[in-house]
Amino acid sequence: MVDPTVASASVLAAALSIGLASVGPGIGQGNASGQAVEGIARQPEAEGKIRGTLLLTLAFMESLTIYGLVIALVLLFANPFIG
Amino acid sequence: MSEVSQQNSLPVEPNDSMQEYYQLQQELLVTTVILTGIIFVFVWYFYSLSIALNYLLGACTGVVYLKVLARNVGQFGREKSQIGKSQLVIFVGLIIVATQWKQLQVLPIFLGFLTYKGTLIVYMLRTLMPSNSR
Repeated sequence: MVDPTVASASVLAAALSIGLASVGPGIGQGNASGQAVEGIARQPEAEGKIRGTLLLTLAFMESLTIYGLVIALVLLFANPFIG
Repeated sequence: MSEVSQQNSLPVEPNDSMQEYYQLQQELLVTTVILTGIIFVFVWYFYSLSIALNYLLGACTGVVYLKVLARNVGQFGREKSQIGKSQLVIFVGLIIVATQWKQLQVLPIFLGFLTYKGTLIVYMLRTLMPSNSR
């Protein structure tokens, strides 16, 4: 029998974890992409270098979202608090 | 005469400069595959084949994720006006399969997926080396 308090708290925690984990990286990715496009427009000859740096930056930032996503998915699909 | 000098001073074609990006992309993918192979053997030796295969599944998904992310960054500003989130769908699918399928374990798969991050750290450390002129 699933405790309704635990179930509702888990769903709330999942929503908060993915929501909060998306805010920071979302702002960061937007800023980085905008600056990268500006840089490419100013210096088209450095496009490869700028895109490479953008790839590394986005990969690092997106892993923060992935941490929150893992917590949310585990709480939803393999909740350790629900027996 | 001035037209000729203007033509000579034209910036390098985007395709030429993009070669550096494609090279980086290739280097990251190859490094991830090599790192996956090494860690797979270690996990097999110290834990079990089952956990090692779980790790391998996560690492392979990580390689696909990195490739999709690299493709999205490559298309950004040319064919697409924003960086897509299709790479996250791959990860969500993997974790849902891992939690639903009894034979799979979430932790080795997740740590396997994070192998790509190890590659990024290795690459960053290599570029910080004083001998590296990049």
